Amino acid sequence: MHADERLTDANFPDHPEKATLEGKNKFLGFWLFLGGETVLFATLFGTYLGLRNMHMDGPAGEEIFKLPMVFVATMLLLTSSLTSVYSVLAMKQNRVKAMQGWFIVTLILGLAFLGLEIYEFVEYVHEGHTFTSSAFGSAFYTLVGFHGGHVLFGCLWIATLLARNWNRGLTLVNAPKYYLFALYWHFVDVVWVFIFTVVYLMGKVG
Amino acid sequence: MADHQQKSDKTVHRHEALQKKLALKEERKHHNVSFIMMILLTLVAFYAISSDKIGDSFAVMFILVLAVVQVFFQLYIWMHLSHKGHEFPIWGMASGILIAAITVASLMGMIWTS
Repeated sequence: MHADERLTDANFPDHPEKATLEGKNKFLGFWLFLGGETVLFATLFGTYLGLRNMHMDGPAGEEIFKLPMVFVATMLLLTSSLTSVYSVLAMKQNRVKAMQGWFIVTLILGLAFLGLEIYEFVEYVHEGHTFTSSAFGSAFYTLVGFHGGHVLFGCLWIATLLARNWNRGLTLVNAPKYYLFALYWHFVDVVWVFIFTVVYLMGKVG
Repeated sequence: MADHQQKSDKTVHRHEALQKKLALKEERKHHNVSFIMMILLTLVAFYAISSDKIGDSFAVMFILVLAVVQVFFQLYIWMHLSHKGHEFPIWGMASGILIAAITVASLMGMIWTS
C-alpha cells in the first residue's frame, strides 16, 4: 500500500497518524515544538506580570477589561477545542465527512473568536489603551496579540489543509497532518486558559 | 478451504471492529465529561472574581489552581497524553513547563517596578 493511497475501512490502521515513520516523526517533533512554545509564551507571561501595573496615564486593566466579552471568547475557544477532538475521533473511524464537518465548525468558532478579539482591541484603542501608551499596553498587546496570531495561523492552517485534501479521503500522508492540527488547536486553547486567568481575571482584582 | 478461511477472517475482523467502536464510544464520553468539567471550572473562576464574598488574594490563588486543573484536562484527555506511546511527548511537555515556570518566576522577580 502506498502512503498516499486512500484508506478503506478494511485496511484502516489503529493509529493512522503514526502508521508511517514520517507520521511518527511528525508526532514527536510536534510535541517537542509545543514544549518550546510553552516556554515562549512563558516569557511573554512573565513580562506581562512584571509590567501589568505600569499603566502611566492610560487606563488600568481594571477599568477597561469587560468580563462578559472575555467569557464569551473563552466559551468559543473551548467549544472549538471540543469540536476538533470530535474531528480526531471521526478520523480514527475513517468517517471523512464527519471529520471535515467538525473541522469546519472549529474553523468558524476560531474566526468568531478572532472577530471578537479585534472588536475588543478597537474598543481599547478608543479608550486610550494602545501598544505605545504604557509598558502595560505593550506587554498586554504582545501577549494577547501573539495568542491571537496563533489563532489566525491555526485558521489558515486548517482551511488550507481541508481545501487541499477535500476529495482525497484519508491517507497515511494526510492523517498525521489533521492530527497535528488538532494538537495545535488544543494548545492554543491551553494558552487562552492562562490568558483569561492571568490577564483578565487577575487584572480585575489588581 | 480458501473461502472458509476468508469467512472466519471476516468474523474476526467484525469482532475487532466492534471492540474498536466501543473503545471510541468510551473515549467520546470522556471528551464530553471533560468539556463539562472545563465549563464548570471556567464558571467558578469567573464567579470567584466577580463575587465580593471571596477575598481578592485568595481568589487569585484559587483561579490559578483552577487554570492548572483545566490544562491537565486538555493535555491528558483532549490531547491524549494519557494514551500509550506518549512517554517522549510527556517528557517534552514536562521540561517545557519546568523551564516556563522558572522563566515566569525570574522575569517577575527581575522587573523592578517601584
